[in-house]
Amino acid sequence: SLVSSHKPKIFRSGGLCMLDRMLRVDHAGEYGANRIYAGQMAVLGRSRTGPLIQEMWDQEKKHLEKFNEILAENRVRPTALLPLWNIAGFVLGASSALLGKEGAMACTVAVEESISEHYNSQIRALMEKDPERYTELLQVKFRDDEMEHHDTGLEHDAESIPGYWLLKKRYTTGCKAAIYVSQRV
Amino acid sequence: MAALLRGLRAGRTLRGLCSVVSAPPAANPQCSGLTRGIHCAALRLQDESKSDKPPPSSSSTTHHEHYQTHSAEQASTSDPAAEEASRPNTSYQDQSGEQGEEYETEEQLQVRILNAALEFVPLHGWSMEAIAAGAETLDLSSASTGMFYNGAGDLVLHFVSHCNSQLTEILAEQHKQVQLGQAEQKRTADFLRDAVETRLRMHIPYIESWPQAMSILLLPHNIPNSLKHLSTLVDDIWFYAGDRSTDMNWYTKRAALTGIYNTTELVMVQDSSTDFQDTWNFLDNRIQDVVNMAGTAKQVQSTGEAVVQGLMGAAFTLKNLTGLNQKR
Repeated sequence: SLVSSHKPKIFRSGGLCMLDRMLRVDHAGEYGANRIYAGQMAVLGRSRTGPLIQEMWDQEKKHLEKFNEILAENRVRPTALLPLWNIAGFVLGASSALLGKEGAMACTVAVEESISEHYNSQIRALMEKDPERYTELLQVKFRDDEMEHHDTGLEHDAESIPGYWLLKKRYTTGCKAAIYVSQRV
Repeated sequence: MAALLRGLRAGRTLRGLCSVVSAPPAANPQCSGLTRGIHCAALRLQDESKSDKPPPSSSSTTHHEHYQTHSAEQASTSDPAAEEASRPNTSYQDQSGEQGEEYETEEQLQVRILNAALEFVPLHGWSMEAIAAGAETLDLSSASTGMFYNGAGDLVLHFVSHCNSQLTEILAEQHKQVQLGQAEQKRTADFLRDAVETRLRMHIPYIESWPQAMSILLLPHNIPNSLKHLSTLVDDIWFYAGDRSTDMNWYTKRAALTGIYNTTELVMVQDSSTDFQDTWNFLDNRIQDVVNMAGTAKQVQSTGEAVVQGLMGAAFTLKNLTGLNQKR
């Protein structure tokens, strides 16, 4: 296990510690992704793409469980914005699904791209700091799953939606803002 | 994990060997760089592996430079509460290989002075006089109070942090007992009550002057630190109570316990019953309140869910009745 320390957290430089922030934002991300897929399933659950979305959702659920464990183990504070991500994620998923299957896939592509980029930069930062200490945390597997989702989205005609680039830009900007805020609050 | 620790212990002996050989730096820069790296990694992992061993027993030094915890853990596993201020820090002599034998950091010195000053608090209150008197018992000039920029604030914050560390040790010890099966896991409400009571009892020797200490903690420049100590205390108590939540419950539980702790502390300073029995009764009642509220919240939630189910069922039935459900 990692930093399950009995030392008072302020002397571990608590919430500003890089590891704390990373874990907090990752947890928020998985939570949000869960809600996005839930929103998409609520609209497209009974269509042809239902099973596909369900499969991706199940993988995200597993990620979330893992992060819940990691957070508890390392005594990291979860972000206070979880209720916001709860609603925002669901609304995002549902509204993108209302644009049809391509809309849902475009949303998936945009979000997974943001998340993969985010995980990559975290992996870089951890590798720079101290690879051996963080091997358990190098969530290469999670990053690969997210890339897989990204590719699945592309395979299923994400790009065929009109206004794809604009939509994608909006989603990725939203994700970046969410990541920034969740690290701190 | 264990293999990694063994490797790091090997690294430590390597460091020891390197310092014994003590070749001129130019001759083996790689060796010292490597050992420094191993040493640093060892220290960091030493911090982390505290969960596998009892926490460093020296409460007043747990929060100083990590090599001290590193060395204290080796030196004082058999010597629990030995690090009282009035004795010189003999345990660091053999361990801090990078320091000379008699060297003491400014922080360690401050801790010794503050610990000695606590004795004089009943007499002088939480003030520079107490610190000066403490310094004098250690054969230091009372001018050494000059290194305490925050004056009485330093003394109060030191005391608070000292009590919090003591509480953490007690809770960790109890936790260990439960893990080993030598004690039973308490119910959450009882655990919280015992933890808060234990922590507040540490104020009893200073209870006359505690209102002064509380007002010092509320001074604007002390608020960030006192809040940090409070939040750490509450987080520790919940952690040992078994809370592993990762959602809004994390916040609500800590907020509730903070409220309980603060109000009980206030009741305690104006309590004149024998052994503060009124305070402990107050504490019991507050904890019971929180437990009841949690129970009510759960009931409300399950009632809400049942109502929603009922409404969905009614809507579905209506759709059937009006024929809207048929596929055409």
